[in-house]
Amino acid sequence: MGSRASTLLRDEEIEEIKKETGFSHSQITRLYSRFTSLDKGENGTLREDQVNFRGFMRTLAHFRPIEDNEKSKDQNGPEPLNSRSNKLHFAFRLYDLDKDDKISRDELLQVLRMMVGVNISDEQLGSIADRTIQEADQDGDSAISFTEFVKVLEKVDVEQKMSIRFLH
Amino acid sequence: MLTSEPPYRDPAVLSAIEPGDVTAAPPDVSQEIRPLTNHSSPGHSKPRKAFPVLGIDYTHVRIPFEISLWILLACLMKLGFHVIPSVSNIVPESCLLIVVGLLVGGLIKGVGESPPILKSDIFFLFLLPPIILDAGYFLPLRQFTENLGTILIFAVVGTLWNAFFLGGLMYAVCQISGTGLNHIGLLANLLFGSIISAVDPVAVLAVFEEIHINELLHILVFGESLLNDAVTVVLYHLFEEYANFDQVTVTDIVLGFLSFFVVSLGGVFVGVVYGVIAAFTSRFTSHIRVIEPLFVFLYSYMAYLSAELFHLSGIMALIASGVVMRPYVEANISHKSHTTIKYFLKMWSSVSETLIFIFLGVSTVAGQHYWNWTFVISTLIFCLIARVLGVLGLTWFINKFRIVKLTPKDQFIIAYGGLRGAIAFSLGYLLDYEHFGMRDMFLTAIITVIFFTVFVQGMTIRPLVDLLAVKKKQETKRSINEEIHTQFLDHLLTGIEDICGHYGHHHWKDKLNRFNKKYMKKCLIAGERSKEPQLIAFYHKMEMKQAIELVESGGLGKIPSAISTVSMQNINPKALPVERILPALSKDKEEEIRKILRNNLQKTRQRLRSYNRHTLVADPYEEAWNQMLLRRQKARQLEQKMNNFLTVPSHKLDSPTMSRARIGSDPLAYEPKSDSENLPIITIDPASPQSPESVDLVNEELKGMSRLPPSPEEEEEEGLVMHVKESSSPGTDDVFTPGAGDSPSNQRMMRCLSDPGPRPAPEEGEPFIPKGQ
Repeated sequence: MGSRASTLLRDEEIEEIKKETGFSHSQITRLYSRFTSLDKGENGTLREDQVNFRGFMRTLAHFRPIEDNEKSKDQNGPEPLNSRSNKLHFAFRLYDLDKDDKISRDELLQVLRMMVGVNISDEQLGSIADRTIQEADQDGDSAISFTEFVKVLEKVDVEQKMSIRFLH
Repeated sequence: MLTSEPPYRDPAVLSAIEPGDVTAAPPDVSQEIRPLTNHSSPGHSKPRKAFPVLGIDYTHVRIPFEISLWILLACLMKLGFHVIPSVSNIVPESCLLIVVGLLVGGLIKGVGESPPILKSDIFFLFLLPPIILDAGYFLPLRQFTENLGTILIFAVVGTLWNAFFLGGLMYAVCQISGTGLNHIGLLANLLFGSIISAVDPVAVLAVFEEIHINELLHILVFGESLLNDAVTVVLYHLFEEYANFDQVTVTDIVLGFLSFFVVSLGGVFVGVVYGVIAAFTSRFTSHIRVIEPLFVFLYSYMAYLSAELFHLSGIMALIASGVVMRPYVEANISHKSHTTIKYFLKMWSSVSETLIFIFLGVSTVAGQHYWNWTFVISTLIFCLIARVLGVLGLTWFINKFRIVKLTPKDQFIIAYGGLRGAIAFSLGYLLDYEHFGMRDMFLTAIITVIFFTVFVQGMTIRPLVDLLAVKKKQETKRSINEEIHTQFLDHLLTGIEDICGHYGHHHWKDKLNRFNKKYMKKCLIAGERSKEPQLIAFYHKMEMKQAIELVESGGLGKIPSAISTVSMQNINPKALPVERILPALSKDKEEEIRKILRNNLQKTRQRLRSYNRHTLVADPYEEAWNQMLLRRQKARQLEQKMNNFLTVPSHKLDSPTMSRARIGSDPLAYEPKSDSENLPIITIDPASPQSPESVDLVNEELKGMSRLPPSPEEEEEEGLVMHVKESSSPGTDDVFTPGAGDSPSNQRMMRCLSDPGPRPAPEEGEPFIPKGQ
């Protein structure tokens, strides 16, 4: 299985992915085999949304743990995909469905509804959403922008929470 | 019971009171009765004497009296330390208490009595369980489970390493000729090592609580001190059994290994069983709320005793039962019972801790000591070395698997925080003289190590923490944002883990949550709450807290105007579009509002009318809060309708009904003040970490409120938003005036909650009626 996977993935590609995401060689090959096992239709993409392997890796790169040697590196290149800011940005984008860089009350309501199920009334959920926005909102636009989002989560240990230990 | 008794008693862990003491009581009682009936039995030996109007019978009440005196001493000491704050900033409380114990012991000895020693039974059966239960019940579960691997490795491997390293080295030292220690065998040394190697939860709690270190380090050291109990129990029994034989066979080692698993897992199992039973019982207590807390305490204590019965780890049983029962019990019991449980646990554990340290001091004076320089000094040195090496080695190993690595600073604090305490002393005390002639020397060494760690390490850890700039604990409570986003991230990570095929932490947590929701909650939680998602429960709790603060601060009774009912939504504020107007009220709206006001105002100062302990009236505050919730919803709808009016609002002062209502509700005269300098302006920063429990919704400044746009786009139910405003422009009127555009007209929400409540002095005494400002 391993050898079959690596023949489909050329070495230059691996190098590119490595540079972009920071994964190691073995991690990339392992994840590629996972990708192919998920990819039932064998057409190189997951689902009809055409998530190809590059996209898959790019998404997963957000969840790589932040390593110490990376922390010390200065910003000489583009910010690595798994920096705290990028992790938070990833989460933010999941909330922000219409991609206007703000989490509006409706978007928050949708997420809340998905999280709590069907037993809670709309009004109660609405009051929670309002309270949430009120707590976070600082510029008064009754929506949560990315900076406000970051500020609210400043006490949460995002580096640990949003990291998966990919086996070497 | 607290008297010193001949030290070579068999360690009978289960006998708490010596039989001799109990039998002392009845003869006195019978003697009391006799004089009264003397005249009816003429042949009696006692001569007839006058009826004793006043008599002294100390022996009758001696035991409870002495116990109460000791506890009172402990409490007074605690009080004293807080009245004199300067000392307690430098020296941790535990040190002061030991010193007090030394003084008291010296005093008693000076008087000629022999001071009591901390007997192991009392310690293990009465003093230790409250502390552990308090710790277990309020264990921060999230951090604990996230770091469970690390904690287990420190607890198990670390303690084993400490015990063997120390025991082995001490044996080597004993072998050195000339020290006079040659008679101590290897196993005795290993036993000594196992006694002294365990980090003590009581000492750790006492010291770490005062330095407010960040949660990760706190949970690591504290968790380690809790979980190493299993290792200690196994090692102690193992070596105690075999210390007098010269060698330990392989089967013994294997059995010991097995018994470790039995002891720890068995303890956890016992705890879980009792926890589930307690949770199940609490499901049915809705009619007898008074005894709810008692169930929690009793079941946990039974778990502890049952585990000790089978020589399993009582501490782990206690922790497991507390952890298991807590979510279900809290969903079932009333708010008052919850408060009762919390405060009783804190009270008992606090008193226990104080007593333990005092008794350590007293026992030091009272006990027989045998000081051997070599033994004691080398014990001390090797303890420190073993701890440091152990932590360093284990951290190097653990960091390979951790996502967030432990920095050298962390490692230093972990190593430095390995305090020994009363458990070591009690275990040493349990040794009997027949088998362990060197018991006194062991005890001396143990006490020395305890003193060193508690005094030296305890005192210096705080300046070291400051010096090394270790992250401190952040004193904020969780905001609802954090709760939502953390749960969201949980789900997200579970999904990602699924995609990667990686069975990590989130995967198992998710599985546990599903199991919990599907089966456990249905059985163990009464009624509707079983279906309540965690988020909603959290939200309710938060609202309840704020509401209670609101009621307690008297804000409810002082609401002068109609809008304040609307502003009660400050507790549950909603986003408000920047431009906002509060229109005038038509007559029937006024009527409705006045009715709401009347109902509100009446309910604030209800006292509990029932003295009968069998009937506990439902908490008036809870009732009031529920009604307030309903009213808030009504007011919200009311306001929604009001939004549709775009008429120019009248000045608040003009409306006679309003001013009447306001004045009527407030005993103080209402006077519009022109300037606002002496008005406390407390702006609220919603996401500020500095706002703890107290609801500082006092003087909110609204951004300028102007006309509500007639377009329906923003027509959701909006409340009044509170913004942080630095600029304060006087002269703008209250809520009713139309703000021209925005900022210059800062409306101050000074009505509702203008009583600052829990805030300290300067704001108090201000009339809390909003001034026309």
